[in-house]
Amino acid sequence: MSYTVKSFRKKLVSFIAGAAIASLSLIGIGAAPASAAANPNAVVSADWLSTNLTNPKVKLIEVTVEEGAYARGHIQGAFEFRWHTDLVDTVNRDVASKADFTKLVQSAGINKDSIVVLYGDNSNWFAAWGAWIFKLYGAKDVRLLDGGRAKWEKDGRALTPIVPNPAKGNFTAATADAKLRAFLPEVVKVAKKQSTSKLVDIRSTDEFNGKIFAPAGFDELAVRAGHIPTAVNVGWKSTLNADGTFKSKADLIALYKAAGIDGKKPVITYCRIGERASHSWFVLSQILGYNVKLYDGSWTEYGNSVGVPIENPAGTVWGKK
Amino acid sequence: MSSPSNSVVSDLRKEVTDSRYIWTRGEILKSVVGLAIVAALIALATSLGNDPKFGSPAALSLLIGISLGIIFERGRFCFFCIFRDAIENGVTTGLISIFVALATGATGYSIVFALFLPVPNGEYLPPAAHIGPISWALVAGAAAFGFGMVLSGACIAGHLYRIGQGSLRAIPSLFGVVIGFGLALLGWNDLYLSQIQQAPVVWLPDHLGYNGSLILTLVAIGILVLVTLRFTKKQDRNYATIENPFTISAIGYSLFRKRWSPAITGALVGLIGTFAYLRIEPLGVTRQIGTTTRTLLDSQALLPETLNGLDALAGCVGIISETITNNGWIILGIVVASFAAALAGGRFKIEPLSLKGSASGLLGGVLLGWGAMISLGCTIGVLLSGIQAFSLAGWVFGAVMFAAVMVGIKLKLHKLV
Repeated sequence: MSYTVKSFRKKLVSFIAGAAIASLSLIGIGAAPASAAANPNAVVSADWLSTNLTNPKVKLIEVTVEEGAYARGHIQGAFEFRWHTDLVDTVNRDVASKADFTKLVQSAGINKDSIVVLYGDNSNWFAAWGAWIFKLYGAKDVRLLDGGRAKWEKDGRALTPIVPNPAKGNFTAATADAKLRAFLPEVVKVAKKQSTSKLVDIRSTDEFNGKIFAPAGFDELAVRAGHIPTAVNVGWKSTLNADGTFKSKADLIALYKAAGIDGKKPVITYCRIGERASHSWFVLSQILGYNVKLYDGSWTEYGNSVGVPIENPAGTVWGKK
Repeated sequence: MSSPSNSVVSDLRKEVTDSRYIWTRGEILKSVVGLAIVAALIALATSLGNDPKFGSPAALSLLIGISLGIIFERGRFCFFCIFRDAIENGVTTGLISIFVALATGATGYSIVFALFLPVPNGEYLPPAAHIGPISWALVAGAAAFGFGMVLSGACIAGHLYRIGQGSLRAIPSLFGVVIGFGLALLGWNDLYLSQIQQAPVVWLPDHLGYNGSLILTLVAIGILVLVTLRFTKKQDRNYATIENPFTISAIGYSLFRKRWSPAITGALVGLIGTFAYLRIEPLGVTRQIGTTTRTLLDSQALLPETLNGLDALAGCVGIISETITNNGWIILGIVVASFAAALAGGRFKIEPLSLKGSASGLLGGVLLGWGAMISLGCTIGVLLSGIQAFSLAGWVFGAVMFAAVMVGIKLKLHKLV
């Protein structure tokens, strides 16, 4: 008896909500609350790039961390941004400042109306971080090369060591878009269920479950293991095919839907230091068009913070033998 | 138009019947075996290139190693032998090959640098070039390396190619090198924090641009040539020259059996250094030794968990790795190709090994290894690749190491065999 009353009430609520949204969109006030527009061109293929290498509107940026890889050979016309110095603040833990980023982007010859295409090594992790910073500072058209540097090389496409020398561009960074970046207090609210945003932890399952504090060989770690309460674990790699290209949009929607992420609620992605999470940020926000923030403080900030709740299924204790 | 005079023609006929140009069946056989070994190495390089686990950097590294093995052996590019000839006997011909290698390489590097980093701006160094810090650790490392060369009879690269010539003493020496690397790794953290971390890294193009740096380097090499000529007592003209008759047997004689001209040897070493930097990494022969030592010690849990700053420094720094690094393929190429060249030229000879020679070789090797680790490279990595890359540390290493070799030879440390 009560069951039917409840389900009736549920149906009624959803009907009213649906009608409200429908009437709002009819009169043109915003789309669904948790959906930004997906960019149908967010991912470019190597073929597209090959035919657009001399298109003056297309500006190519490589963000690769392997030393010397860019210098020895990059895609024709690509300008190098260095993640460790160009795209972050080197003293404070922060992204590159508005003024520094404007200077950097202008030196790469990028204009307000440029199509910025980024690529790099490590499956575009650092290129995706670059894409996030571009969007954070108001760039209009930002895309990633599907498969990154590795696929371009594997396909035997041409590389050159010639460094471009572009004329100064006229891009100026806007004030950082608060809708794209999450800070600790907002994340703690989600952890305490005071916010309905969805957290996506994109690290490995062992990191998520607290079996390890950080992947082998990485110094930057947190003194607590586990994950932020309420977070779901969707590894960054599961968004890619074996050759490093992005899975189809339908597959990506299904992948996240299975973890309870359907874009109806705002999403926050995080990882260990923020760079892999920018990759998933790109998938969720640029390809799927969900409303997504990157929490770049990630586990190295959260797991080191005093007095925040943590879930650690493995029960590992820091320092205990 | 004048035609060759009869006297020239008859001279040539006389020359080609010169006994030096007549090959015995044994000599031909040895040369064929030598060529077959080189062919097998090249085949190995090809298969490495097709193996996704290794790829073209490994293949190219092996080809570079093969070239170096042949050039070192044929050109007698042994830093210690060259220094000893000059210091003991005033025979300075070999020094020319080092000077030419530095000048050729510096010219090549400046072209590559202009490609990699068009404007030296003081903010960035060119990727992975051997531009290291100048510290008391570098001075101590270079001095130890110099004494190690005298005691063991060669530098690390020298020992590698001399294994191929049948030098048994290279074996205890290279064993000592691994021990020396281990000792240096164990003491690394204190040394790094007290001496190296804040030490200045001086790259000449930051101050003089590429043109200025190249001019200064060439002038400095020119001055060294003048100083060398001043101290020259004898010259060794016993090497292959273009004046040798132009017949197949005489060309074979020049290529296989006669020592190569020091200028040609030096130019080839400089060119290969440039190619190596353009395609893979600067030349060096100690990275694999450092890697092997580090991996070995690490697997025995003998190393501190963190070696401060080591992986961020420029030079022949070993990493932890179970597989053969690119540098390992260079070393393999040097040893085996040198053997092939020595065999073809009839210079392969197992040198008997005395107990005293083994002990001095081992001790010298320890000094070589410790010095190379602390200096982040050796005669090839820091001196050659460093000076070619306009690193002031290369000059500091070279000067201190040469001074130590002089002192060591005056003390007759090289006679302990």
